[in-house]
Amino acid sequence: MIEFDNVTRTYGRKVAVDRLALAIEPGELFALLGPNGAGKTTTIKMLVGLLRPDSGTVTVCGHDITKQTRQATRLMGYVPDQPFLYDKLTGREFLEFVGEMRGLERRTIDARIARESGHCQLDEFLDDLIETYSHGMKQRTVFASAFLHDPAVLVIDEPMVGLDPLGVRLVKDLLRSRAGSGTVVFMSTHTLAVAEEIADRIGIMNAGRVHFLGTVPQLREELSSHHEALEPLFLELTGDGNGRVSSRNAQRTPTTT
Amino acid sequence: MNVELVAESVVQDFLSPEDEARAFWRLRYRLAATSLRQVLATARLRLALIVGLSVLLWLALFWLFADGFWFLRSGIGHPETHDQALRAVFGMFFAALMIMLIFSSGIILHGSLFHSSEIAFLLTVPARTPRVFLHKFQEAILFSSWGFLLLGSPMLLAYGIVAGAPWYYYAMLFPFILAFVYVPAGIGAVLCLCIMRWLPAQRVHVLILVGAALVIASVWFIWSLSVGRESDLLTPDWFQEMLSRLRFAEGRLLPSWWLSTGLLEASRSAWSQSVMFLVLLIANALFCQQLAAWIAQRIYRPAYSALYGRNVRRRRAKTARIDRVARRLGAFLPQQMQLLLVKDFRLFRRDAVQWSQFLIFFGLLVLYFLNIRRFSYDIRHIGWINMVAFLNLAVVGLLMSTFATRFVFPMVSLEGRRFWILGLMPVRRETILCEKFLFAVGGSMAPCAALILLSDVMLRVAPVVLASHQLTCLILCVGLSGIAVGLGARLPNFHEPSPARIAAGFGGTLSLIVSTLYILAVVLLTALPWHFYLAAQQTRRVVGDAEFASIGRWLTFWVLAGTAGSMVLGALATVLPLRIGFRAFRRLEF
Repeated sequence: MIEFDNVTRTYGRKVAVDRLALAIEPGELFALLGPNGAGKTTTIKMLVGLLRPDSGTVTVCGHDITKQTRQATRLMGYVPDQPFLYDKLTGREFLEFVGEMRGLERRTIDARIARESGHCQLDEFLDDLIETYSHGMKQRTVFASAFLHDPAVLVIDEPMVGLDPLGVRLVKDLLRSRAGSGTVVFMSTHTLAVAEEIADRIGIMNAGRVHFLGTVPQLREELSSHHEALEPLFLELTGDGNGRVSSRNAQRTPTTT
Repeated sequence: MNVELVAESVVQDFLSPEDEARAFWRLRYRLAATSLRQVLATARLRLALIVGLSVLLWLALFWLFADGFWFLRSGIGHPETHDQALRAVFGMFFAALMIMLIFSSGIILHGSLFHSSEIAFLLTVPARTPRVFLHKFQEAILFSSWGFLLLGSPMLLAYGIVAGAPWYYYAMLFPFILAFVYVPAGIGAVLCLCIMRWLPAQRVHVLILVGAALVIASVWFIWSLSVGRESDLLTPDWFQEMLSRLRFAEGRLLPSWWLSTGLLEASRSAWSQSVMFLVLLIANALFCQQLAAWIAQRIYRPAYSALYGRNVRRRRAKTARIDRVARRLGAFLPQQMQLLLVKDFRLFRRDAVQWSQFLIFFGLLVLYFLNIRRFSYDIRHIGWINMVAFLNLAVVGLLMSTFATRFVFPMVSLEGRRFWILGLMPVRRETILCEKFLFAVGGSMAPCAALILLSDVMLRVAPVVLASHQLTCLILCVGLSGIAVGLGARLPNFHEPSPARIAAGFGGTLSLIVSTLYILAVVLLTALPWHFYLAAQQTRRVVGDAEFASIGRWLTFWVLAGTAGSMVLGALATVLPLRIGFRAFRRLEF
């Protein structure tokens, strides 16, 4: 469903993503973890077609994102870390525009807006101008827009930023339920606890490379021999906070898929 | 679940190109309608002011152009020479506009296609790349050509009336203008896309080089036009020489020439010729749009990716020598105020967008003042010299008022957004406002005084008048700073991060109006008595010393009274808004 085939992306001399090889299957909720500057957002931007790999290919449902951008993006829903919304539209008007762009028919758009408005709890403010929304309301509207066309692939960059506990719970339930119905969910997060709670598989990235790839039980197994909690392992895998990775991590370069 | 099955279950048909275009137009319509409704509901004063000033400017331009065309008609009796002069005027006007439109549309597209958060959203929806490009291209045309409409429409209407043009001249005006603006906008778009695709890291250097080349060429051209002996001025030979120098703007391959010729033909009832040029322009407009969209299809996404893939060097900033100088200059001030001054100076200096706009206006005024003797052959009379000098003073004051509204007024609002930093420190709120006021006075006084000094030196005004102008400049700078800081504290906007938008709000508009009235009052209080005094001095030889002595005493009194009045007004304009601002700022909750 999503495949990164030996993908490398550089910013000048800096290698942001280094030979990433990764495949994610339908119905899987994948969480990409890592510290700031690890390459998570670059990976996501390549996945949604905003950035192009220097080498390698990214395919979504068999479509090369660089060559068949439209075919790939119509199968995706994307929630960026800093989402854009038109301040001078109402939530409903914004969702109508997204629905139209996704090629949905008028009647379907209305029905899906009603459905997602219920799921994301937008009813109270859907017809207000977006400029009056709080951060949480905006975030829920963006989620509704990403779910509107029932995408085969959901890509979410830092989904919990700025959400209150209720919002966090809501988003976790929505993502799990989407994955349960066969959607691929690709999520990046700083928060280990979130990934631990809802992800089927976790990738831990640092300095452009994936240093651990496996399920949560595998991660627990890994830690049981060395650590008592996930957090120390995560900190060790992602280096000393200055982008330097310990020698032990280098040996744990993953086998992909 | 099977990959194809999942993909199949959600696949929708792509929107047809027409439906996609309609969806974008609907989006634009909804955004514009909401903005208009909000402006009508909440910012009527601002809207009325903008519309009123635009209408006034339009009427003034119409009158100016009509007068100019009447002058050409009556002054140049020979039909062929008259025709040549008109072609030269139209050719130059539209050629200059074409270059400006290429630049402005390219710069606007650079911002909207590569740096807007909207575009990052649009590139992730399955819209066609050329449609996304056209959405922004049409916006750029609107933003870059409204000035052309404001300048061009009064000129073309005035010409039509003076020339007694037939009805279809007026009917063809808008299609001509619309078709024309697409051509330079298309060229600007292609240049922007190509630079961003292949020279993303050097884009600023390219812009600076091209801009510098254009400025040098313009200065050289203006200089070459004005070179010559004053005795040759307005002679037939001089006129023919001018026409031959302007002939480069009448190249047959220039769209500006097609526009000017098409309109001139329409005004002379040669409708078939005119329609031919209109069709030629429309065909080229469509070609330019198609070419730009075709290029966007191929290179826009790679260009976007390349821009964000370049190696961005981290900017390091140490304590600059200029900061140390600023600190020393303010050494007599309390320590906290010195620190605040250096902080604001650093923020201002490192935000090139802020000061570059001011620099452009400043540079234009310097250019004008340096050439004032060259352009003003007829300014020999002392009365005229002083009138021009005071008008220059008023222009500098108006520049200062826009500076105060655009940069000083939003300072308190912006401080409010980060007030947790200062709010948690042992700094009195009055200190913060005082510092803003001193920063505004210090920042505006030096360039304004220098500009006025340059104007006075070039006009060779008397030393006493020069001193009076410097005093007026000080009164203006202090008063305008007081108004901007005081009203900025009284009417802050803590929700808006953009200083430009804060300045464009109600508070900013009010500050601009008050500032403009203040400038008019101060300049009139000082200029009128001086004008009458200097005019009386000119008549001294005619009326005799005894007669002049009685009038002179009376006029000297009015010069002094006017100066004192302007000082009192300056004090009021400084103290009253600042007091209101202090009171409001003390009570303000963040």
